Amino acid sequence: MSTPRQLAERRQLLRRLGLIAPGMAMLAVFLVAPLAIMLLVSFLQPGEYGGVKWGEYSAEAYISFFYERDFDDNLVFNTDYLGIFQRSFWLAVATTVGCLLIGFPTALYLALQSEKKRNLLLFLVTVPFWTNLLVRVYAWMLLLRNGGLVDGALGVFGVPEGSVGLLYSSGAVMIGLLYSFLPFMVLPIYTSLEKLDWRLVEAAFDLGANRWQALKRVILPLALPGMLAGATLVFIPALGNYIIPELLGGGKALMIGNLVQLQFGSGHNWPLGAALAFSLFSLVLLALLFNGLRQRGQEVRA
Amino acid sequence: MSSAISIETLSMEFGPGMKALDEVSLEIRDNEFFTLLGPSGCGKTTLLRLIAGFEQPSAGVIRLYGEPMQDLPPFRRPVNTVFQSYALFPHMTVAQNIGFGLEMQGKPKAEIAATVERMLALVKLPDVGGRRADQLSGGQQQRIALARALASRPKVLLLDESLSALDMKLRKEMQIELKRLQAETGITFIFVTHDQEEALTMSDRIAVMSKGRILQVGTPSEIYENPANRTVADFIGETNFLEAQAIGEQLQLADGQTLPSHCSAQGAVTLAIRPERVALSESGNLAGEVEEVVYIGTDTLYLLRVAGQSGFRVREQNGCGVRPLLQRGAPVRLEVPAAAIRVLSE
Amino acid sequence: MNLQGPLWRFTGVRPVAWTFFAFLYIPILVLVALSFNAGQSATLWQGFSFKWYGVVANDPEILRAAKNSLIVAVCATLISTCLATLAALGMHGRRFRGQGALQGVLGLPLLVPDIVCAVAILMFFAFIGLKLSLLTILIAHVVFCTPFAYLPIRARLQGMDPRLLEAAADLYASPWRAFWRISFPLLLPGILSGAMLAFIISMDDFVITYFVAGAGSTTLPVYIFSSIRMGISPKINAISSIMLVLSILFVTLSYYLGQRKR
Repeated sequence: MSTPRQLAERRQLLRRLGLIAPGMAMLAVFLVAPLAIMLLVSFLQPGEYGGVKWGEYSAEAYISFFYERDFDDNLVFNTDYLGIFQRSFWLAVATTVGCLLIGFPTALYLALQSEKKRNLLLFLVTVPFWTNLLVRVYAWMLLLRNGGLVDGALGVFGVPEGSVGLLYSSGAVMIGLLYSFLPFMVLPIYTSLEKLDWRLVEAAFDLGANRWQALKRVILPLALPGMLAGATLVFIPALGNYIIPELLGGGKALMIGNLVQLQFGSGHNWPLGAALAFSLFSLVLLALLFNGLRQRGQEVRA
Repeated sequence: MSSAISIETLSMEFGPGMKALDEVSLEIRDNEFFTLLGPSGCGKTTLLRLIAGFEQPSAGVIRLYGEPMQDLPPFRRPVNTVFQSYALFPHMTVAQNIGFGLEMQGKPKAEIAATVERMLALVKLPDVGGRRADQLSGGQQQRIALARALASRPKVLLLDESLSALDMKLRKEMQIELKRLQAETGITFIFVTHDQEEALTMSDRIAVMSKGRILQVGTPSEIYENPANRTVADFIGETNFLEAQAIGEQLQLADGQTLPSHCSAQGAVTLAIRPERVALSESGNLAGEVEEVVYIGTDTLYLLRVAGQSGFRVREQNGCGVRPLLQRGAPVRLEVPAAAIRVLSE
Repeated sequence: MNLQGPLWRFTGVRPVAWTFFAFLYIPILVLVALSFNAGQSATLWQGFSFKWYGVVANDPEILRAAKNSLIVAVCATLISTCLATLAALGMHGRRFRGQGALQGVLGLPLLVPDIVCAVAILMFFAFIGLKLSLLTILIAHVVFCTPFAYLPIRARLQGMDPRLLEAAADLYASPWRAFWRISFPLLLPGILSGAMLAFIISMDDFVITYFVAGAGSTTLPVYIFSSIRMGISPKINAISSIMLVLSILFVTLSYYLGQRKR
């Protein structure tokens, strides 16, 4: 028999589930189900003009990450896709490291300002988040193209115009990624620095540490959670980005995102596209899992 | 006297084996200032929340003037609460806060306005009606919370640690204020506190709680003078405990010293002795040794070693005749009258 | 604590910070400046003019795209904010078994890279035979806007004293009346900022829209992308600048409103 208390709790739970249900249904039908279907599609054979052949299962899509079939239907090792995976990965890593190198000093600078100035600067950091990414990337096309502002500036130093080929290169993609995701690094680091008890740093000074030592031994370790959060926030969207390599990389610096898109456009290979998308998603989950485990480990130790 | 609230074998479990209340039964009389006293986690706040209806019991009955009400939601119970954190609605004015209960009951506007005026006068803050709750000081918020809970004339007013957020001086003021309000309104007050001094000064009756049970119910003097057991004696005021054997008319301590007994208990007992009821005296009936002397202005506190037990506390008022301060290790004698000894047999 | 003294000057920190801000804003400023170029070139300065803004204002294709963007953003904001508010209310309170999983699903759109989200939804629509149109865009937008709307509402709820609702119930307010008199007014700032986030995220989205937009249901970002692919032009500078300035105005306004309230 249930006590009045258990009955009341059950009623309460039902009411709460009822409130959650509409949103949950929306996400379940239009996101979770599509992701599940995507996983299924990645194990199917492609149709002739897009679409898939239902019921014909194969791991062909995943095999084609590494091999292609020659005329005799033998598997031949193929580095085309691997090269793109590698480029995506290293560009995302380099972006994350670059963001850390610029983001940490910036966040430290912000944290040390008076409250009024700090709020204004913080606002300036967040503004780009609210503006269209496509438009901001387009602005870099204007700057980087041959005959653009950067090219012109280089010309002043005697570099002939158009000789460097700034736009449509991995370098341009890297600049675009850095530019787009820097605020994602600055904000979490700033948040952890804002919570920091600066008397600890005073204690370090008092115990004879100079600024560099205090930074290295006190501030950096305490800002680590923010840096890790920032690294996750930068790495994940950088890895899966589509617009930036599309616009700034041209055909020369494709990343996984572009490869996925190609399979649904001219490539007409949905299973391969699904397999690529699913691999990308798995990488993201791995990165999150790594971060989550680290955090949990820290909590256990604390 | 009729009972305002009667509670029968009320239990509440948060989960299997996690009992917040264990078959509590209690009668609270009409027009009484009743206090639930106990350390944090003893179940006193849970009991209050069950009466208010914020929690549901696992078993048991709560009657309000004879009517069972454990199945009513809080908004159908004619009891009101003063919360520990006051819980004033931050987006409303003081007057809107006070009038909220009446408004929910569908009272006409004019009546609400008049009651709000009256309540503001009652808590002696007549001019703050138009202000927002967060513009008031802590003490003022406390009074408004009281006014809000009293505005719809509840049959019982529940106060959850309502004074604990105030500083010492305000607290003393509010203690007197609460007594006055209770007398003026004639409403039954149920007050929850962990502060024994507050409980003793304000209450008509007190229930001492521990670990989800009620240990003793009685008037302040009953509880102070005749604690039912060691936990109650320990929680209310300062108490020395001495282990002893009751043999006939004698209480024999561990080192063989004896004290007079006025009670019939025999065998192993615990003696509870209040520090202010004994005195240092050369002709005393109990020997001890000074461990520590603490000067506290009005009093001097002596920590003694008595019958092999250390930490026996004796309080002496500092009068005009100055006694030379005793040194550590000095032997002393104590005068312990039979009336000062409370024999607890567990 | 005063951190402005000489003790707290870490060498090199200030130049990096200012480089950061320059890096962040120079491209935007250059873009806006070039949108006033009188000539036919997107990057070669040939004098000041509002000419291209006129061209934009009279381009029926741009106007249609803008209308589509607005329709989708407004609908997506309304729907996702409602869903998010209900979900936040349901999630609030004592934890129940399985709540973690539900929380995970609610946060899923934030984790899934947008390109993955885009192709998954595209395939889903293709398989259930839903023709790509404004409706498909709207559905996709509701999906990824919901968590953005959810987060500020949830944060606001968590900051709310649970005793306030108990106090309302204690003072004879039924749950329904307590919601409208207490919870809703206190949650409103959270709901508004959630709605604002959802609106901007919807207005700005390109990748997902690009995949699930049918012919004739172009939104502004999709229009801009297609134009860029055909070659950069002063017309793109102008429409881009309009979008930039509008969203910056929007944020600045909400920032000032937020400041004034405090």
